Amino acid sequence: MNVIETENLSFVYGQGTPFEKTANDRLNIQIKEGEFVGIIGHTGSGKSTLVQMLNGLIKPTSGTIRLEGTDIWQSPKEIRKIRFKVGLVFQYPEYQLFEETVEKDIAYGPRNMGLSEGDIRERVISAARFSGLRSELLSKSPFDLSGGEKRRAAIAGVIAMDPDVLILDEPTAGLDPAGRDVLLAQISQYHKERKNTVLLVSHSMEDIAKTADRILVMNRGRAEMLEDTRTVFSRGEELEKMGLRVPQITKIMSGLQKRGFDVPSGILTVEQAAGVLAAYRGRSV
Amino acid sequence: MLKDVTLGQFLPGVSPIHRLDPRAKILFLIALIVFIFITSNYISLALVAAFIVALVFMTRIPVKMYLKSMKMILFIVLFTGIINLFYGRGEPLVKIGFLQITEAGINNAVFVAVRIAVLILASSMLTFTTSPTDLTDALERLLKPLTVFHIKVHEIAMMMTIALRFVPTLLEETDKIMSAQKARGADMESGNLIKRIKALIPVLIPLFVSAFRRAEELATAMECRCYQGGSGRTRMKRLHFGKADLYGLAACLLVLCGVIICNIFLPATVR
Amino acid sequence: MKDFIKVENVSFRYDSNDTVNKYVLNDISLNINKGEFVALLGHNGCGKSTMAKLLNAMLLPEKGKVFVNGLDTSEPDVSYDVRKTVGLVLQNPDNQLVASIVEEDVAFGPENLGIEPDEIRRRVDEALKAVDMYEYRAHAPYKLSGGQKQRVAIAGIIAMQPQCLVLDEPTAMLDPKGRDEVMATIKKLNREKGITIVLITHYMDEAVQADRVVVMDSGKILTQGSPREVFSEVELLKRHRLDVPQATELMYRLVGMGFPAESLPLDEDECIDRLSKILK
Repeated sequence: MNVIETENLSFVYGQGTPFEKTANDRLNIQIKEGEFVGIIGHTGSGKSTLVQMLNGLIKPTSGTIRLEGTDIWQSPKEIRKIRFKVGLVFQYPEYQLFEETVEKDIAYGPRNMGLSEGDIRERVISAARFSGLRSELLSKSPFDLSGGEKRRAAIAGVIAMDPDVLILDEPTAGLDPAGRDVLLAQISQYHKERKNTVLLVSHSMEDIAKTADRILVMNRGRAEMLEDTRTVFSRGEELEKMGLRVPQITKIMSGLQKRGFDVPSGILTVEQAAGVLAAYRGRSV
Repeated sequence: MLKDVTLGQFLPGVSPIHRLDPRAKILFLIALIVFIFITSNYISLALVAAFIVALVFMTRIPVKMYLKSMKMILFIVLFTGIINLFYGRGEPLVKIGFLQITEAGINNAVFVAVRIAVLILASSMLTFTTSPTDLTDALERLLKPLTVFHIKVHEIAMMMTIALRFVPTLLEETDKIMSAQKARGADMESGNLIKRIKALIPVLIPLFVSAFRRAEELATAMECRCYQGGSGRTRMKRLHFGKADLYGLAACLLVLCGVIICNIFLPATVR
Repeated sequence: MKDFIKVENVSFRYDSNDTVNKYVLNDISLNINKGEFVALLGHNGCGKSTMAKLLNAMLLPEKGKVFVNGLDTSEPDVSYDVRKTVGLVLQNPDNQLVASIVEEDVAFGPENLGIEPDEIRRRVDEALKAVDMYEYRAHAPYKLSGGQKQRVAIAGIIAMQPQCLVLDEPTAMLDPKGRDEVMATIKKLNREKGITIVLITHYMDEAVQADRVVVMDSGKILTQGSPREVFSEVELLKRHRLDVPQATELMYRLVGMGFPAESLPLDEDECIDRLSKILK
């Protein structure tokens, strides 16, 4: 079943002014329930506008978005409910922390949902666990945490709303390799356990290759591809024309392919590649 | 939404007004304000208004832009106008309950409204045609004599420069934080005043925190660039008081004479 | 010139009364030669940003000495000269631009140095050309992309004509295009103007482009050498949770699986060449 469906979804900034700019141009996207979809595209390709439309922060200029079959703008007064169902974690989310304690901050979303204190407490604890936040940090001020911990606390604030769809915009931006790997593992774990739909916007093709089932490629406001990860990354030349690259490992393997070696395309991880190459050498020796 | 503010915006161009020395422009603005407040009858008011309108056309900036900046102040213009309408003394022309409108009241209302409108027009003209940096630069140089009285002119100008630089950055940041909190279900559109003010806390606290963080980083960056205050500092841009500025000065003097002559030889309409 | 910058047995902590907290830098020594391009690698909290600020006298060592061009940074009244010699570019380009117009921002440093207006004009134009931002000289910084802003920030330092540029994670907040622009600029400044570069980063593909890579961990130098030497220590880097280019890691794994051992490749082309030879 499709959890999100868009039909001719468009958004134009500053419509009717000389600065008019089409950010999204007639997008028709289907996202299945429980999928992990990576969204790639260079800056200005319309990714941010799209994700903000998906959770009702921006109203489309034309076209519709259906969440579990219903138009999200059917009753504009109820749009807040959509935001609880489609959780959006912005870029550098640590800049939104404001409460006295981490616990209160994570509880902000659930409290806005009007949940009981008991439910809120439960959700805070489970969200903190999912984002890998140690429980002794909950009573601390969010401003006393380290950079990586702040990031995780902010993500927990969205997870605590228990959204059906979780969208993360560049969650690993600015983190060091260790912090990045931990966070990505946490997100994958969350996806596996909750079986929710996850959308991950990232500039890092390596991150996308590690996590996503399918990839949505955005270019100049249009959805150029929406296919499984291997297929998208085996179309490296097309991606490069859009100013995007493929993971280095994928590039090495397609380079070998071009030189006439019979190796599969769309290899995504070093482990896979090593396995394939060792087998290849075994065969030819 | 927050970016639609026209008041105080700089619109680059090559008109004669754009090319005036910014120091001269500030002095001219002050002169115009003085003129508009010493006018005491319709003829002199019209003279000053006509002079400013002529200057407005010389800037070659679409009149629409000026009207846009007036629109924001329209309420104040109307409000003060209406208040003054009921404030005049003398024979009432119309009476509504305890309120009365007199001829003096109408005159007062017109004068106040026109004065404010012209004031806005003149200040918009200055900000439209002068870059904020030129403006602060000019202010710093004009106010330099005040350093004798231990007024930190350079520091004040520096703060203005930095404030101007960070206004767009902080506006953008406000938009971003608001979106982020809305995504967590913040409701900023409904409820009474107290509820709405409360709903702003999740926006204001992160904004302050971020402003302090930025200030700290900026201070480091400035120190790295050998900033040590105003002493020993030179400026890349030189300001020239040129021919055009002299013409402007002459025009101002002419208008001043006109206003004074009108005020002396014609009966005063107000005060 | 050898020993252009000398860090000698430096220890540093932010609060010297604090007996509990450990040192951010711990008896560390490092020499940087003139014209060299050094990449400083390590994860957050390893002390690399502290090192950057020690190099231009923004911070002073608690123990040990830092010499820049023979000047001891802890001497009184030298900080001005040290900062003129060693310029520091920070991570967030938004927070280091002072003026609302690009060229005026670039002029800020030279203005502070008290240089004649005509000379400032010349330096500003030259600096903006060096970072390929000359056409944008009259623009407002907030309308530029991240990569463009960061290049303006670099121009602002270059206009002070330093001999060394220290960049503290200048690409961490940029998109891939911005990162490429900034890296190209840094390399150009190093090659064409002979400016010594100390690049602090946690991107391996950037470190690979340097002459020398210094890996820091917990306030100490873990290992250093040419990119090839450093990245061949895959085991060590992995243990300290640092990245290795995928090309290097692949070859490392394959060697472990019985492929013929040679020095490890650093980029994809080299890796493809190597593999083609082996598999033929």
